[in-house]
Amino acid sequence: MALTGRTALIAALGALVVGLLLPSWAGIGAVGLPLLLAVLADLVLAAPVRSLRFERGGDTTVRLGDPADVELSVTNPSRRRLRARLRDAWAPSAWAPGTAVPGSRHTLTIPAGERRLLTTRLAPTRRGDQRSHRVTVRSLGPLGLAARQGSHQVPWTVRALPPFASRKHLPSRLARLRELDGRTSLLSRGQGTEFDSLREYLPGDDVRSIDWRASARRNTVAVRTWRPERDRHVLIVLDTGRTSAGRVGDAPRLDAALDAALLLAALATKAGDRVDLLAHDLHVRRTVLGRSASEVLPAFTNAMATLEPALVQTDLRALTSATLRLAPHRSLIVLLTGLDAGPIEEGLLPQLPLLTKRHEVVLASVADPRLDELAATRGTVQDIYGAAAAEQTRADRTRTAGRLTRRGITVLDAPPAALPPALADTYLALKAAGRL
Amino acid sequence: MTTSTPVDVFPGWAQLWRRSRWFLAAAVFVLLVALLISGLGGHREYPPLDPRDTDPHGTRAALHLLEERGLTTRTVATEDELTAALAEPGTTVVVPFTAPMTSRQLVLLGRQHRGSDSRLVLIGPDNNALAAITPDIALATDPAGNPLYEDPTAVDPGCALPEATRAGRAELGGLLYRPGPGDVGCYAVSGHPALVRHTDPGSREIVVLGNARALTNDRLDEQGNASLALGLLGSRRQLVWYLPDFSNMPDGEQPKSLTDFIPAGWNWAALQLAIAALLTALWRGRRLGPVVTEELPVVVRAAETTEGRARLYHRAKARGRAADALRRAARHRIAATLGIPLSTGEPEPTALCAAVADRVQQPATDLHALLYGAAPTDDAALLRLTDQLDALERQVRQP
Repeated sequence: MALTGRTALIAALGALVVGLLLPSWAGIGAVGLPLLLAVLADLVLAAPVRSLRFERGGDTTVRLGDPADVELSVTNPSRRRLRARLRDAWAPSAWAPGTAVPGSRHTLTIPAGERRLLTTRLAPTRRGDQRSHRVTVRSLGPLGLAARQGSHQVPWTVRALPPFASRKHLPSRLARLRELDGRTSLLSRGQGTEFDSLREYLPGDDVRSIDWRASARRNTVAVRTWRPERDRHVLIVLDTGRTSAGRVGDAPRLDAALDAALLLAALATKAGDRVDLLAHDLHVRRTVLGRSASEVLPAFTNAMATLEPALVQTDLRALTSATLRLAPHRSLIVLLTGLDAGPIEEGLLPQLPLLTKRHEVVLASVADPRLDELAATRGTVQDIYGAAAAEQTRADRTRTAGRLTRRGITVLDAPPAALPPALADTYLALKAAGRL
Repeated sequence: MTTSTPVDVFPGWAQLWRRSRWFLAAAVFVLLVALLISGLGGHREYPPLDPRDTDPHGTRAALHLLEERGLTTRTVATEDELTAALAEPGTTVVVPFTAPMTSRQLVLLGRQHRGSDSRLVLIGPDNNALAAITPDIALATDPAGNPLYEDPTAVDPGCALPEATRAGRAELGGLLYRPGPGDVGCYAVSGHPALVRHTDPGSREIVVLGNARALTNDRLDEQGNASLALGLLGSRRQLVWYLPDFSNMPDGEQPKSLTDFIPAGWNWAALQLAIAALLTALWRGRRLGPVVTEELPVVVRAAETTEGRARLYHRAKARGRAADALRRAARHRIAATLGIPLSTGEPEPTALCAAVADRVQQPATDLHALLYGAAPTDDAALLRLTDQLDALERQVRQP
């Protein structure tokens, strides 16, 4: 049960009655007893809460940052009119900041035997699954003095998918891909590209692409057109260990890595390649394998939605063997991990020959703009030490990157916003060079 | 679409017990500690001169001696009891404090209310009390009219009072008095007696003491104090000690408090308001469902380790390491600007210095000292080095 402000107000006004008319126990009783009876009557006459029926519907997935509407239908099977306050409780991160209290509260009136639909607008602020907690109903009595209160479990899950903020870079990269593909009016020829077709020479074509034998067989000059390789395999390997938990700006490194992986997956799918995903720290956390082109992006976002950094040191040896298992043939392996000297030199470098023997390897790491900020700060002695430490860290990263580059790996080290386009550009460059 | 299941709000007795047992344990513990404190620290605070008090300022010792000699002693607290005790013949009544008594109560101590063969012992009464009880005695004053006061000291009796002559030297003083005609004044300090005995007809005596130091537990064994105390208090078969509860004064004499001005009925209204406040608390305290919690991921700023390293450098005063890092970074940037190749990860020193010297028109030896020199010896030198490196980089970029 619950009381309302009205009860307290009547009791307070009763003080006037007691003070002016009946200053005694009799006066207190004269105010209190009718009030108590009215409260009891209200409790008895309020519509029951336990027998209410709830059903849910609405959005089940939402891109992080977008609102999701979850519907709740409330049926009042009793023979009394339901006047109630209702709270549809979700975890704090399911609400847009500041709307947790007003957003979850609803006021509703349902006549006997009828049904009403409520809409709760969520705006998750964290990636992952948001589960509904309880629906609590406070059913007011006809006098508005007291209410019955009870809760129902009405399960529903809204999955907040990674925001894929870098999709704004996709159109420009797709345009570049089409240039590579020979579908544009310009003929551009990559080195490792596949022969596509012959067509008539047009002024402006590279004379080196003239196919003299074919020209000899026909009246006109024929040029070869090329297209990049297709049906290659791209394996994106996400390191979800402790280095991915570090916060860069407002989000952990992992979020930037997910964004880069999504852009690469979208681009590679359009380019006709097969894209797989492996998330790994101590053990395999997620795999998305062998999806068709139209399924890849939804499957990736779904798998990434509930991926959280684990505070463990990634087992790079196990990660390498898992990678090799998933990539039996020549593939482009994109490692999204950190560039810390220790784990790379002890864990990855000994394993590298296994990877590079057959595969093209790209290592992409999220750089921290805060390091540049620290390195550029001047002023107090403390700032200078900060700058020195930042330079030291940058030098270490550069040295590690240099060692990896010498082993034939393409290393990217870019801040969160720049990493996805940089990775996409690297992919296009590799594709243009025919190195897939 | 999913369907609903009602939630049982009542968690069950086992769950309730599990939830509340620590609170209950804490409550029991607090209660025990409170009981222990009140039991152990049961030392009562008595007012000075209390006959039950064994502290230095109490008078338990004197009373004990008197009881050993077969006197009956008791204390009275109320006005009625005092009146009855005064009226009894053969009684000694001690009134240790007259100042807080009302004028009506003082009148009760007067001659006509006392029984025959009685003694009234007053300690340090002022003129107001004396005027009401025995107008013959008054406070001794200096020429300006202020009462005389001397700290209690050991003085000779110097009078014919039997109790005083038996006791001999005793510690007396305090307020000094001017005896009336026929009164006996003893233990004169600076010419005025600190003890005065006045006798009314019917052997109704009044003994006025300027100060009760001689009676206290602390000083009873000094000089002739004990003998004097026994003599003064033990002259009759009964001893009554007046210990009024001054907080319980009769109405009309006390200053009025705020509640006295509120009509009586409004106390009931206040009670009703308290009930309303309780209902308000119940109204506001009821949540619409429990608080929802969630597990938050652990995220640490990625630059934390670098900042920690900076603090470590600072604390260890690792100027050499800091300067090395800054110099190497500057060398690499300058080499990149001037297009000097990094062989083995480092630009070749002489080539670098020569190229920079050519670019900024400075001697190569100075530049070598700046880019490869010794570690700075103090923080000021480190700051200077940083400034010089920054300036050099700017010059190299824009000569």
